[in-house]
Order: sequence, then C-alpha cells, then structure tokens
Amino acid sequence: MKYVELGLREAVDLVRNGQVKATEIVESYLSHIESVDPEIKAYLTLAADRALSRAREIDARKHKGRLAGAVVAIKDNIITRGLRTTCGSRILENFVPPYDATVVERLEAEDAIIIGKTNLDEFAMGSSTENSAFFPTRNPWDLERVPGGSSGGSAAAVAGLEAMAALGSDTGGSVRQPAAFCGTVGLKPTYGRVSRYGLVAFASSLDQIGPLARSVEDCALITSVIAGFDRRDSTCADRPVPDYLDGLGNFQEKVKVGFLGEASLKGINPEVASSYLQVQELIAGLGFEVVRMDFPSWEVALPCYYIIAPSEASSNLARYDGVRYGLRAGAAELADMYVKTRTAGFGSEVKRRILLGTFALSSGYYEAYYARAARARQAITAELQAAFRRVDFILTPTTPEPAFKLGEKQDPIAMYLQDYFTVAASLAGVPGISIPCGLTGNGLPLGLQVLSEPFAENRLFKFAFLLENNIKFKNNMYGINTRGRRKNEN
Amino acid sequence: MKVDLEHLSRLANLELTEEERKLLPGQMEKIIDWVGQLSSLATGEEEKYHQVDFSLRLEEDEVQPSLPQDEVLAMAPEKQGDLVKVPRVFREK
Repeated sequence: MKYVELGLREAVDLVRNGQVKATEIVESYLSHIESVDPEIKAYLTLAADRALSRAREIDARKHKGRLAGAVVAIKDNIITRGLRTTCGSRILENFVPPYDATVVERLEAEDAIIIGKTNLDEFAMGSSTENSAFFPTRNPWDLERVPGGSSGGSAAAVAGLEAMAALGSDTGGSVRQPAAFCGTVGLKPTYGRVSRYGLVAFASSLDQIGPLARSVEDCALITSVIAGFDRRDSTCADRPVPDYLDGLGNFQEKVKVGFLGEASLKGINPEVASSYLQVQELIAGLGFEVVRMDFPSWEVALPCYYIIAPSEASSNLARYDGVRYGLRAGAAELADMYVKTRTAGFGSEVKRRILLGTFALSSGYYEAYYARAARARQAITAELQAAFRRVDFILTPTTPEPAFKLGEKQDPIAMYLQDYFTVAASLAGVPGISIPCGLTGNGLPLGLQVLSEPFAENRLFKFAFLLENNIKFKNNMYGINTRGRRKNEN
Repeated sequence: MKVDLEHLSRLANLELTEEERKLLPGQMEKIIDWVGQLSSLATGEEEKYHQVDFSLRLEEDEVQPSLPQDEVLAMAPEKQGDLVKVPRVFREK
C-alpha cells in the first residue's frame, strides 16, 4: 500500500489505532519525495532525520495526538527551531531560527510530523514561486507550468503527494491561488484567527497563515489545531475555536449564495468563466438561491492592495540590515554595510516592492497614495459587509486563468493581476477557501473561491465540504504524479 | 508618473544594479500609474488600517522567559564577547 495516497484524516486514524506506524508513513513519504522532488522542487530544506526521530518517538508512545502521523510541510517563511528558514531569500539563506512559530508548536503538540520547508516567492512576494532566490517550483500537473505563489512549494508538495498537508501564508491570495493552480484545497482564515508569531512579516495588516490539503476535511482538522488566541501575537483574536470537524457533513441551511456580475468577470479566461457558470447551475440545482451581485469598489481592490502591501513591506523589511542575523556584506562603515547587505540580499521583485512602498509613504505622496488606499480599503470592506447582509456566501473563481507557463509573465503588472479575485477578502479580513472545481481542456485544475463573514470558518468549511462532495473533484487527484512524470519521460 | 529612483533607493537603503537601473524606471512608472487608478475613486470613508473588529486582550505586566542570550548571539554575523559587532559608525576626519 502506498501511504502517500492516504488522506491526512485516514492516515491519522490508522496511526492512532495502531494499525500503521508513523515511521512507515514517514519512510514512504521520504522515498516518494526522493523520486519526484528533483522534478517538482517543492522543498528548500528536507527534515528527514527530524521527521524520522519524531515518528519513532510517536510510535513508542501510548497517547497519540489529534494529528499523529500527519506528514506536514511548512512554507519557508514560517520559522522552525533549529531548521533553516530562508524566506526564499539570499538575505536569510543560512538563517537557523532559535524558536518555533506558534503554528509549528501547535502542530507538533498534536503529533504532526514536519517533513520539510517549502519553496516560495522571496518574502512571499509573487504569484508563481519564480521569485524564489534559489529555484522555481514546478506544477505537478504539468511540469512546464508554475504552481502559483507565493505558497507554490506548499501547494506543489500537497498535489505531488510529497506531504499530506502544508501550511502557507496568504497576504493577497498566496494560499488560495496556488491551491487553485495545483488542484488542492487552501484556506485563508479570518484576519486574527491564527497566530502569526513566527511568521516572517510581509504586510502585517493582511498576512494570515492557512492550511493547504487534499480535502476540505483535512483543512478543517488542521485549522482546528492551529487557530486560537496566542499571547505572543497581539493581533490574534481571543475567541473560542470550535472543532471544525464537528457536523462537517451536516449542512441543512437554506442559504443565499452571491455570484459576481458580468462587470467583475470581464477579461477572464473563457474556461474559468464557463466553469464558474457550471458552479452557478450546481448551486441552483442544490436548491440554494443564487444572487447576482455587483461590487463597484472591488474593481479598485488590486491597486489598493498594491499600495498597502508594499507600504507595509517597505517598513517590515527595514529590519534586514546585516546587524543581528542573516546576511552581512563587508563594508568599512555601518551605513555602507546596511546598503551593501540589502542590495546583495534582496531580489528584484522585493526591491521593486520596497521602492514602491517607500514612494507611497514618502513626503508629498503619502496623502495621494497610502491614505487614499486606506480609504478605498474601507469602502471595499463596507461593500463586502453589506453583501453579507444579503447573502451567506460569495463565490468567485479563485484565479482569472489556470496555471501559466514558467517565464510567461515578465511584466510585473501582469503577475499582479493574478490576485484579482483574492485581494478583496484580504483587504476586508474575511476568510476565503479555494476548492478544486474542475479541469480545463488541457487537464489543468481550476479553483472556486468561497468567502464568508469573519470568524465563520465553521459554516465556510461545511458549505465547502458540501460543494466538494457535489463537484467530486477529489477522485481525480491521485493520478497527479504519474501525469507529471510521464510528461517528463517523453 | 516619473519617480526619483535615486532618492527612493537612498531612503530604502538600497543600491540598484546596472540591470535594475535600466528596467526599474519604466516598470515603476507603469506600476505607479496603474495604482494611481485609485485617485478616480471618490471615497468619503475614513482611513482604517485593520478591518476586523475583535477585542484585544491586554497582558499582565509580568516577567516572562525570553530567548537564551547565547542562542540569539549565535545568529549574529560578527560578535565580540556578549556583544554584536558592527563596522565603525562614524567616519574619521
């Protein structure tokens, strides 16, 4: 039996019942990673020894946690004690953190096994994982295509059966978009739902950690473990965390479901548009009321995001100065050392965003750019709040197109347009989940985004679970790797 | 809109490579014009920086353990005794 094909929930049940050893599962993953990762390149650092010794320790113990034997990959901007954490950047190439992120602590406290650190766009800035300072990751469905980003390594690891699930981070769509490109489920929780202690900051008013997994159920289980108050993150909400598995398959409500009107869909890929129409028919067929909605200020969500996120990034990334940790470039004087270190350590997209943020915050431009974006953000949030008084969920495509080819998008703005459907939820702080909703004619996965009110992950999971069962995409997933390999062998 | 990249990169403690000096001005102008679409949006709204309202819990003012000094110092690129060492701060005359 190939353990890598087991879903997380199934594997955990087998380990907890003593039917399978965590060690056997980890060994199975390590050998699968060895055979496919030279092509997919999902991992920056593999934690083979750490995972095996952890598995042996779990096998030897009678009490086993809620995630015993779950093989989980961690995006490499989430820090792990004693395990190199690079953020996909030269500036942190040899950085070994002295503590664990809260989410890592919580996973390990429930006996999840960290298998490695996944590739990302440098400092999570990008939508293709091509901005990694080390190498690009490839999409397991088609190795000539990107896995999306910035959590591209996490999505590719899950889709390529190199991990049962993974953690990513989502600032403007960085969990949802790669989840869509790789045919996995990915959740951006409500702002404040999950502690960010130990997540390397990109844009602090937007960043959230979220899970990627092969099913809604697996995502719900992981969210139950990582969510909740943390005294070390003052932006983490002090609200109880329900068991998201509770009543997952039991959705009896008669809900109203919002769909975007045509104005918000112009210019998107025709296959994405037709799959979105099919979802509308499915929803109507299930007896739910379909409500067409227009979001006039949604149109400016992207420019608004691309002012706010770089502004916050320019401030957050000021800490990389070569003094206390990370790369240091040689210089005779301190001021020169700062400049030389940052110049050598940051890649082009990171520099572009720092400069853009510096511009938007600079004297003479602050009011016209940053302050105006902050007001636009307020209008977008108000519009979404008003929408949730009319409907229970809003459904959109996750991305305007399926996975594109490596090197295809050279123009920064063309890359930024990837976030078209995802940034509004980030700006408004509401949760969003992407679930696979079909394949293109070329056999590439498409994603459906489901948005709900803040802190309503419980209902969001239930509704997404219902859709997942009706879309029946899950069954297509296990052939993924052979597809990738076959292509490469030709 | 034209931007003074030299000025911005000084503010951001960055130097540009030859290639970036060639590509960036055009890219930045395009991006800034693109995000400038926002100026067409009439907003009477107040600025707001966090969107979700939830009560933040204040911590008791208690001493808590922090990271061990030796592990923190071990990350420093250069050190002397228990101190992080940096190049000289002031220029000699």
